[in-house]
Amino acid sequence: MKNELVKVTSGYERFVHWMLAVSCLLLCYTGIGMMYKELNFLGALMGGLHGMKVIHNYTAIAFGISLLLAIQMWWKEAGLFVFPEDWEWIKAAGGYLWHLDHVPETGKYNPGQKAFFLAVALCGLLMVCTGFFMLYPQYFPLASWMYDWVYTFHMLGFFVIFPFFFIHLYLGTIGNPGSVQAMLTGYMEKPVLRMLHPKWYKEMLHEGTLIIKK
Amino acid sequence: MTEKIKLYDASKCTACRGCQLACKQWNSLKAGQTQHTGTYQNPPSLQPNTYMIIHFQDYVAPEGDARWLFRKEACMHCTTAACVTVCPSGALYYNKEFKTVGLNREKCIGCKECVAACPFDIPKFDAKTEKVYKCDMCESRISNKMNPACVKACPTGALKWIDKDEAMKIADDRVQMLGGDANVYGDKLVGGTHLMYVLKEKADIYDGIKKNVKLPLSVTIWKTWLRPLSLLAAGGVIGGSFLHYILHGPHKPHPEHYDNDEKKQGGA
Repeated sequence: MKNELVKVTSGYERFVHWMLAVSCLLLCYTGIGMMYKELNFLGALMGGLHGMKVIHNYTAIAFGISLLLAIQMWWKEAGLFVFPEDWEWIKAAGGYLWHLDHVPETGKYNPGQKAFFLAVALCGLLMVCTGFFMLYPQYFPLASWMYDWVYTFHMLGFFVIFPFFFIHLYLGTIGNPGSVQAMLTGYMEKPVLRMLHPKWYKEMLHEGTLIIKK
Repeated sequence: MTEKIKLYDASKCTACRGCQLACKQWNSLKAGQTQHTGTYQNPPSLQPNTYMIIHFQDYVAPEGDARWLFRKEACMHCTTAACVTVCPSGALYYNKEFKTVGLNREKCIGCKECVAACPFDIPKFDAKTEKVYKCDMCESRISNKMNPACVKACPTGALKWIDKDEAMKIADDRVQMLGGDANVYGDKLVGGTHLMYVLKEKADIYDGIKKNVKLPLSVTIWKTWLRPLSLLAAGGVIGGSFLHYILHGPHKPHPEHYDNDEKKQGGA
């Protein structure tokens, strides 16, 4: 007998997630190709460094739109910490760094996921804003010393987003087998759901919103 | 292979603007859109197709007399150049022979990073060609043992293209001779500039001149700190995730996560 499958994401959620993910990855790829002279060769796929810049600029539009949709969709669930339960989880490092028989239970999103959401939301907005200044300097009468910092902050955004992104990728795939299904099919095996989102599972069970795939 | 300096002696300059025209001619630059600002200074500022201009300034000295001040504005060719530091494509580079700052426009992708970084506000971006333009010290001429076009055109000897040691000596002698507030500008900025001035007045009297110029702190943080740190952080999480996977292992549901009937046959 196979494990029961529980519906955990809607089609809209998955659409926004992947639009954000693909545009973000493309921006990282083209961005580091321009940031590190040693990685200029990454532009070969796009007809050289100039093509890479053009793709970077246009992808930014998709990123900006999906970022706003993501913030609008998730900020209530993933943007606010709930104490003290989140604090308990942080003190236990979510059970990821040392062995724990019982990981403190959190709601739909654990503090790690919330931190990732906040990092992407805030740094993403920073990237969009600084990027806009970089693209259209002629429309913004900023002093030149302010312009210097625009580039530095754009780099700071990458510095923060990329590590968060990679940990998200790892924990969302092989680090927690079964979790990636949430963003592919929208269904998660019940035991995995109960392990990763125990409180949310209980809430759905209690409220009768638990949808099991027939 | 000697480092060379373009020395501009403001005290010898008559503002004939022959240099400005010669620059246009050698670099095949068309005239740009301009506007009248009430002085002979034309165009009012550098443009994508104007690599150098002569500044005209009416200055009333504290002594009461009016003085007409001239200054040549163009790329200063820094020894530690912010533009070369930030350029992502290698379009901006140091000339190996003379230590000036060259610009290979084929490589320029028009990211405008140099425009923001330059402490002298020299590079100009042309939205039509999507490229950046600035003086390259007539690289095509100097690498063939000729003087830059502006130097060649100068009728008064206000512009010279000479070895650095000689330039320093000439500049110091000239400052001594002029006396008063005369001074050398550029030798102490950003590791020494390769366009240097001899000025008659204190530097801060000149309109639009940059004081206390150094490599912007933001560029240092960006290129010297964040650049390697980002790579370290990225490599750290990739390596860390791998270590986590092989040492700690993935998280799998415990027996408590299974319903009773599933627990009997579901593993873990």
